[in-house]
Amino acid sequence: MGRQQLQRTFYGLVSIGGIIALWVYLTGSGRVTPIILPPPADVLEGAIDIYRGYLSVPWYEHFRASLVVMLTGYFSAIAVGVPIGVAIAWWRPLEVVLSPLLAVLRPIPPPAWIPLAILWFGIGLAGKAFIVFVAAVVPCIMNSYLAIKETPQELLVSARTLGASQRTLLFEVALPSGLPAIMTGLRIALGTSWATIVAAELVVSLAGFGFLIMNGYRNLESQIVMVGMIAVAVIGFLMNWAFLLIERRLVPWRETDD
Amino acid sequence: MMRAAADCGHAAVDLQPPGDCGARAVAGFRVALGSRSIVMTNDLEYENVVMEFRGRGATVRALDTFNFHVAESEFVVVVGPSGCGKSTLLHMTAGLMHPTAGRVMLGGSIITDPGPDKAIVFQNFSLFPWKSVRSNIDFGLRINGMPPAERNELIDRYIKLIGLDGFENHYPRQLSGGMQQRVAIARSFVMRPRVLLMDEPFAALDAQNRQLMQEELVRIWSAQRPTVMFITHSVEEAVFLADRIVVISRRPGRVKKVLDVTAVAGASHWRMDPFEDVIRRPDFQELRAEIWGLVKSEIQLRS
Repeated sequence: MGRQQLQRTFYGLVSIGGIIALWVYLTGSGRVTPIILPPPADVLEGAIDIYRGYLSVPWYEHFRASLVVMLTGYFSAIAVGVPIGVAIAWWRPLEVVLSPLLAVLRPIPPPAWIPLAILWFGIGLAGKAFIVFVAAVVPCIMNSYLAIKETPQELLVSARTLGASQRTLLFEVALPSGLPAIMTGLRIALGTSWATIVAAELVVSLAGFGFLIMNGYRNLESQIVMVGMIAVAVIGFLMNWAFLLIERRLVPWRETDD
Repeated sequence: MMRAAADCGHAAVDLQPPGDCGARAVAGFRVALGSRSIVMTNDLEYENVVMEFRGRGATVRALDTFNFHVAESEFVVVVGPSGCGKSTLLHMTAGLMHPTAGRVMLGGSIITDPGPDKAIVFQNFSLFPWKSVRSNIDFGLRINGMPPAERNELIDRYIKLIGLDGFENHYPRQLSGGMQQRVAIARSFVMRPRVLLMDEPFAALDAQNRQLMQEELVRIWSAQRPTVMFITHSVEEAVFLADRIVVISRRPGRVKKVLDVTAVAGASHWRMDPFEDVIRRPDFQELRAEIWGLVKSEIQLRS
């Protein structure tokens, strides 16, 4: 296990290192102009620029702006999506009524909601959080729904023969049994939320990573664009990693000790 | 049910249900132990039972006028070709299905709902993977509202009984198949069921474990002696464990023959002896051959 982990980390570093080497080579050889692809040194400079307050926005404002919006949308999506997914999986009449509606709404890509979100909720927190919500609520609903639907029949039957009521079946059998799949949905939703907030900020924002990327582009400062992109990647990676840690804590029966 | 109060004091526990789900679950105890001493029997009666399943267009008859009576504390093993309705029979007895016609009765009353007085043990163990051994055994007691102190005492006793002390906090997937099935058996027995329904419980185990589990089951069963309906494909297992064996015909299932093992197995029944000794007995072999002949003829007729 430990050995495998090490190997994977090694190959991961090799592939990332390879890309950086290629980047250094291409920009250093003078074949690519800095506007098309800024060299690493420029990007570092861009990062310092942002740290010192690029466009007089303090650096932490970008973190704050993006994260607050994302987390607001994400947690409201969980609060709404998981109960809906569970409910339509558990109560047949609800499924019949709601699933066609979901089937129709689902194909609309989240960015398509941006205009309506702004009209309905304004360009502040609420409008952007709504866009994140729309994006994140789909995996929350779908995975919770499947998680409950796929509760092994024999577990439900066993619980019934032990005297479980409908309520006990839902809360003590179906939900814990589906928890791993629900958690997977929440993790997918986390990634979706993050990608979506950046997209939303491209359209309307005064700070945040989407804002940095868009302003860098408008001012032909490719190094700022790249700092924004790298920051989005690193934060996204860290969030996923943190989520996996929490998931392992919440779903310990998935692990084997031996 | 009266014997329940006599041994080990478990049934004397005051199981006052806190909610409606508990009421049904412990009804058996209350009636048996209430001031009005109603004598409740744990016999099973199958009366002209017919079970049909409606498929696309066609209706399949799984069981056809099945008539049989299982006496209280009797160990009955059901054998028959695949698809003869054995599992259907067990599911109906558990209250998970209802017969198309006829009646299935436990202690004289028609079985309507599943509940802890009718425990089932499945081939695939069906333990809750997110619960430890301890919590798995605890589940039925807890949801039926038994107080924690009594539950803990009972669980300790049953964990010892199945020889899993030291594994209380393991998750099912950390255990071997045999150990998992012992937990499933303990989870059923701890509820003090009036009938124990076993659906090929040892089919997923290897030969050695199967043999060990058969002996273990006899040991645990002897202490409590619930009425048992046990389904198996193994004729040897049937002959070793059963008081009586019911051979069911191919679909639609009917009673083909009932064989009384106790007549051959002696006063103390050979299941109390080691399996490897018993299978060498000529009378065991003879009975095994007879039953296999009956089952085989049903399988051959089919093709």
